[in-house]
Amino acid sequence: MNSAASATDPTEIPLKAPSSVTDLTAGDVSQVERALIDASTRVPVLMFYTSALAWLLLGTILAGFTSFKLHSPDLFSNVAFLTWGRIRPAHVNVMLYGWASMVGIGTAIWLMARLCRTTLRHPLLLVAGGVFWNLGVLLGVGGILAGDSTGYNWLEFPLYAAITLFVAYSLIVSWAVLMFRFRRGGPIYITQWYLLAAFLWFPWIYLAAQTMLFVVPVQGVLQAAVDWWYANNLLFLWFGSLGLGTAYYMIPKVIGRPVYSYHLAAIGFWSYALFASWTGMQRLIDGPFPAWMVTASIAAMILALIPVATVGLNHHMTMRDYFPLMRYSPTLRFTVFGAMSYTVFSVLGVMISLRSFARFLQFSEVSIAYSHLGLYAFFTMIMFGAMYYIVPRLVGREWRYSSLIKLHFWSSVYGIALMTLMLLAGGLVQGLNMDNPTLAFTESTQSVLPYLRGRSLAGVLMTVAHFTFAYHFGLMLFGLGRTASVPTFLNPVNPDPEEMVAH
Amino acid sequence: MKGFTPLILGICATLAFSWMGLAFIPNLQIGHLDPQTDEEGKDAYPVPKSGMAERGRRIYAANGCFYCHSQQVRADYAGSDIERKWGERRSAPRDYIFERPVELGKMRMGPDLANIGHRAPAEDQNAPAQGSPAPAVAPSAANASPTPGGSAAPGAVTANQAPKPQGTPTAVPSTATASLAAAASPPASPSGKTQVAASPSPAIAAGSPANANVANAAPAGPSPPAPATPDAGTTLASLPTDSPQAYSAAWHHQHLYSPRSINVDSNMPAYKFLYVKRPVSGQVSARALKLRGEEAPREGWEIVPSYDAECLVAYLMSLDQSHPLKEVKSAAPAPTSPSPGKSAK
Repeated sequence: MNSAASATDPTEIPLKAPSSVTDLTAGDVSQVERALIDASTRVPVLMFYTSALAWLLLGTILAGFTSFKLHSPDLFSNVAFLTWGRIRPAHVNVMLYGWASMVGIGTAIWLMARLCRTTLRHPLLLVAGGVFWNLGVLLGVGGILAGDSTGYNWLEFPLYAAITLFVAYSLIVSWAVLMFRFRRGGPIYITQWYLLAAFLWFPWIYLAAQTMLFVVPVQGVLQAAVDWWYANNLLFLWFGSLGLGTAYYMIPKVIGRPVYSYHLAAIGFWSYALFASWTGMQRLIDGPFPAWMVTASIAAMILALIPVATVGLNHHMTMRDYFPLMRYSPTLRFTVFGAMSYTVFSVLGVMISLRSFARFLQFSEVSIAYSHLGLYAFFTMIMFGAMYYIVPRLVGREWRYSSLIKLHFWSSVYGIALMTLMLLAGGLVQGLNMDNPTLAFTESTQSVLPYLRGRSLAGVLMTVAHFTFAYHFGLMLFGLGRTASVPTFLNPVNPDPEEMVAH
Repeated sequence: MKGFTPLILGICATLAFSWMGLAFIPNLQIGHLDPQTDEEGKDAYPVPKSGMAERGRRIYAANGCFYCHSQQVRADYAGSDIERKWGERRSAPRDYIFERPVELGKMRMGPDLANIGHRAPAEDQNAPAQGSPAPAVAPSAANASPTPGGSAAPGAVTANQAPKPQGTPTAVPSTATASLAAAASPPASPSGKTQVAASPSPAIAAGSPANANVANAAPAGPSPPAPATPDAGTTLASLPTDSPQAYSAAWHHQHLYSPRSINVDSNMPAYKFLYVKRPVSGQVSARALKLRGEEAPREGWEIVPSYDAECLVAYLMSLDQSHPLKEVKSAAPAPTSPSPGKSAK
């Protein structure tokens, strides 16, 4: 899995080392320090990244099955483990726990080490955690395909897989605590708030959901409430926090300019923690629940626009005058795209939460568009950006082909944009037809099929993006990146590249 | 951010607040509901499902049926669920107190199933439908074909209400389930035996690679062989005209095995892996699917439901929220005059 990263002495790694270690300026000292920190995170982070990418490719293949089978239902329908109702949760869970969680943890490890300004201690703990995590996902996906799904949305992993995941997580979080214990000086940076919060929130929501669904199960419809509470908090408090925290690091770092406002960031963080955590029940509008639960979540969705606005404003003001840099830096391009998608995602989330819209859209494909906006256009794109920044610092090479990065970016962007449009338009048509009782029900499902075919096309684009990136990452992993002192830019930089990208 | 401790405390407090509000307090409010009974403590609703139906729920969850089918009827002001005949009233928390996992669903690529069992033909009509290719009660209004053009759907609802002995105080499994279980395991009950005894000849006829006239060629059935179904002209002409009565167990089996043999517009995947194709030993099984055209097995072979398929159908037949609940205002009874073009599927 991480053959290229197999244990060499971390200090011997040819990082972007200063020209001479003996002739030290203050800048050189901090550069050496960073190099040492990067080197100490090398094995676990690359391991998490490699696993995450393997899951991404598997999840992409499963997504292809999911998408094509939706408009061609007879495809492979004779095979039990390829039935749509198993492929779909397998795809979702591979993406959630295999790809997104692992790439998020990998990035968080690196960010934490950098921001705590301490070398990573006990990397084997993390490696063990990563092994267990992979095992948990493998067991879970195998369980789902074998017909062992629990039947709870986003918690389909059977209990044996859930326990494995939790063991893995305990190993990882204990490392995070260690890291904070050895943290050096200074105020806690914004990214660290988000990462620390994510690391504390995830085990809580996971444990609470598992307990209330399987250990001491709650009665009847409350299972659905707990399930949606978990799913939305996983989206917001786990993936959302990891994504926002990463963006708060990458954007200022790449453009070499501090975050516009610390206070704005604090408001954004705490309002996010307060309001985003109250969402979830808006997915159950007019279901068999006390109306106040749903109303509370709708209100929370609307109030969650406060953090969206503050975070968006903060990023925008930080980026102001620096937007042209997106022409050169892959990291910036992916990250800014992700940060902008976060706004779109949140606004769409509010819209589909309003009762007047939910009447039409609640049971339509629009909710799929929403999930993909959150998990792909926002979270995954930011993580791609982070990987473009971090991986060269771990392997001591630069990305080999700027053309591949461009291909990755544009096929991702066109893929997710086409997918979102298709699902939004198709979902709208579907929902309107469904709400019209003079039309046969099958009218609604038939009317969405052309859009689903369009979505499959979008999926092909994203498949291209993922395999391109995986290939490029593989080159890096096997030491086939460029040896250069400057990062790989998307387009040739004329004047002075050093000014463009701070390290 | 000033310090480490306030940060940690704040992080924990916000989530604790959310958990209290959306999980703990609702649990106090609706987490301990009891079944509803009438004044004498009888007519309990809801009741736990039978063993087969419970196992069927596992099949339902494991194969992801809930990704396309919801099981919740929204109020008349919040959607057209009731107008689509998916239920007569909105669903309430009490409807689900024995459901685990609860399958409210999130998507409707298929119709809502909250009352699919209630929409089945009543028991006395259901049993013969298992045995003969043509529904024995064909002329009745309950003959709702999958794409009824007109009066079939509302008629079925009203026709089903009368004979259904749902209110029997001691009935633990729902009646639909009981009848299905009996049909699935012939020796289990007298009704099962009579049905098996009555059915062989039409079943054999149907098992052969038959043409559409096979029903007429089998006059030995328990009832007069209704010449196909009376609405044959109104359904899609290319389809077999003698598909089982809508939402009967036989209908579900055929629908699961080959959805598009019942409704060409269906987008449902086939669940052929839940069925067993085997050589006929002696007589064609009473449980064998009555398939037509290219789906039909070769001569000497039959397709029978696996036990999982029987359980899944038992579960579907048990889905019924028609019992009134005190806390829910029931919508007006089903209108007697149908609105044209409406589909109850």
